[in-house]
Amino acid sequence: MSRVYERIGTAIMEGDPEKTAKLAERGLKQGLSAKDILDNGMVVGMGEVGVRFKAGDMFVPEVLMSADAMQAGLGVLRPELLASGVQLIGKVLMGTVKGDLHDIGKNLVNMMCEGAGFDIVDIGFNADPEKFVEAIKEHQPDVVGMSAMLTTTMRAMAYTIKAIEEAGLRDRVKIMVGGAPVDAAFAERIGADGYGSNATAGVDLAQEFVSAA
Amino acid sequence: MKVKAKRRKLSLNLNPEPEPSIKEEVLSMRTNYRTNTGVRFEMLSQDQLQELVDGVLHLLEYTGLDVYHDEGREILKDAGAWVDGLRVRLPSYLVRRSLDLAPRSFTIWARDGNPEHDIHIGPGRAHFGPGPTCPNFIDVETLERRPYVKADVPVVAKTVDGLPNIDFCESLGTVNDVHHELGALYEFAGMFPNTSKPIVAWSYDRFDSAGIHEIAVSEAGGQGAFERRPNYVHYCEPLSPLVSTFEAIDKLIFAARHRVPLIFTPCPIAGGTAPVTAAGIITQGAAESWMGLTLAQAIQPGLPFFMGGVYSVMDMSSMILAYGAPELSLMMAGLTELAHFAGLPLWQTGGCTDSKTFDEQAIIEGSLSAYLSALTGGDLTHDVGYTESAMTGSVFQLAAMDESIGYSRRITRGIEVNEDTLAVDAIHNVGPNGHYLREEHTRRHYRTEFWYPKLCDRRNYEEWEMMGKTSFKERTVARVRDILATQQPSPIKPETEAVIQKALSEAEERVKE
Repeated sequence: MSRVYERIGTAIMEGDPEKTAKLAERGLKQGLSAKDILDNGMVVGMGEVGVRFKAGDMFVPEVLMSADAMQAGLGVLRPELLASGVQLIGKVLMGTVKGDLHDIGKNLVNMMCEGAGFDIVDIGFNADPEKFVEAIKEHQPDVVGMSAMLTTTMRAMAYTIKAIEEAGLRDRVKIMVGGAPVDAAFAERIGADGYGSNATAGVDLAQEFVSAA
Repeated sequence: MKVKAKRRKLSLNLNPEPEPSIKEEVLSMRTNYRTNTGVRFEMLSQDQLQELVDGVLHLLEYTGLDVYHDEGREILKDAGAWVDGLRVRLPSYLVRRSLDLAPRSFTIWARDGNPEHDIHIGPGRAHFGPGPTCPNFIDVETLERRPYVKADVPVVAKTVDGLPNIDFCESLGTVNDVHHELGALYEFAGMFPNTSKPIVAWSYDRFDSAGIHEIAVSEAGGQGAFERRPNYVHYCEPLSPLVSTFEAIDKLIFAARHRVPLIFTPCPIAGGTAPVTAAGIITQGAAESWMGLTLAQAIQPGLPFFMGGVYSVMDMSSMILAYGAPELSLMMAGLTELAHFAGLPLWQTGGCTDSKTFDEQAIIEGSLSAYLSALTGGDLTHDVGYTESAMTGSVFQLAAMDESIGYSRRITRGIEVNEDTLAVDAIHNVGPNGHYLREEHTRRHYRTEFWYPKLCDRRNYEEWEMMGKTSFKERTVARVRDILATQQPSPIKPETEAVIQKALSEAEERVKE
């Protein structure tokens, strides 16, 4: 039985979506629960990807391939996960703040968060504070992530957080910020809960938030 | 534009589209399309190089060298040299013929048959390794300078074995804790089992050379097998100005007779033992090398032969031979171009420093000279890891330079231009405001297009802080210690182990007498 878990984990590490999906299907057919396949196979494989990435043995394109494989596997497992009432580890709402058209940093965090098993709601770039507020009301995320690439737009993060506060939603979400001009001191100053210096740090933060909750 | 082969359209349709004809493919072929691979470096013109060659030939024909070896002079005389007492002059036709006889391209083989450790000498290929005979060594544990001892030899060899951009091995020191005549043999005996990268061996005399050769031949599987796949190079050093010493010639004769690839490399000092001008030191040094070339080719036509040296300035205040001077790189670049123009490979110099410690000076001087050596295509670039103007060997300098050489090699490898690398399809797929991280094109190329540093840190501040705020020096020390703890060089044959023990005990007996 554990052989299947091991093979699924390996398929995730190899970044092979077809193989991951096929193995997930086989696991279900053999009577394994979706949650076990997820926890003992896929999450273990993705965890190893994270370890290797941090050690400099794997690189961003490979991590994204693994994230793709994770998505493919989750696609197979999702119906049963939902049917059995199992929650994914959490929901992250992500957007690039108002005035900023930069997308790649946010997209990277999205992809990596998806790979780690989060549900992602992406509200795109140039998202004004009201858009964040409305989306929080609609999607009920655990974590809100904001990205800015420009020094001129990072102030919009502060306005967005203020808008979330004014809407009375601040204590329902954890807020993380990131992007080229941002640092930990700025995050603290504007009242965010955390700062991620790169995409994997963002995933770590999101995981920290949901496990603390 | 896709690399994938086009599938031919076949159909039973009675009114088919015309099939793409073979002619179309031919039309897309390039004609008179010139590609340059890598960054090209060129300093002297063909006219200047010819002038230098003429200068060397003139010097050998009209001035000549003193050759302190009776048999050497005899052989040269028989070959057509003019001998008068110690003085040997070479008619230019004889030197030109010797240049013709020596190969430009050949292979030095890894002793264990590992093709990644073979060294292919030829145009456009630069290789790197440490140098020999520093009296001192930076202790790997204490990081303090102390005399070089026998136990340091395997440390250097293992480090060489584990560093990806170091191609050949020398010991970085003179063994101080054995009989003073046996240092070179103990060195070889310590290096040979601890790296399968080819070794450049120096020796005190032909007895040393014989012991070294016996070890190498045993591993190769006999003299015949060695001649087909030589696994080490013999290093001899004549004296500047214009002296072929007895030891240098004696060892050269031994190496040539046993068909051991040979380095004949003077160490002239501009303003001291050679003219102060770069062109002058090159002319004199080349003449010193080509005397050795002529003798070697007279004994063994076609013997692989490296001209060489360490050419630098005498610092006019400290009076040292400067290993970190810009003139070293400049003179070595000129000499490399002369060697290649004349059809010989070059024993180059780089990755060395005058600094006494692992500091900014060491990295600046070492990196710039290593980069220049890479640009010029120095065939075997030695003295990587020298500090304190060759007085102290350092595996830390060596490991730091491994990083600089990797960096340099990425630059010299250059830009590849073809339909695939132009990436027009990938750019089209991604479009405005997209990203390339998921592109198949990215996945296919990112490992080879980018260089991945081993020691240079590119983390952001927070991660760097989390990883202990290490300095370049600390990471270098850690890498060396990690290599020493984990590197497992491929073993030598048991019979070679026995030959090593025999050679050492015979040598100990010899020096007792």
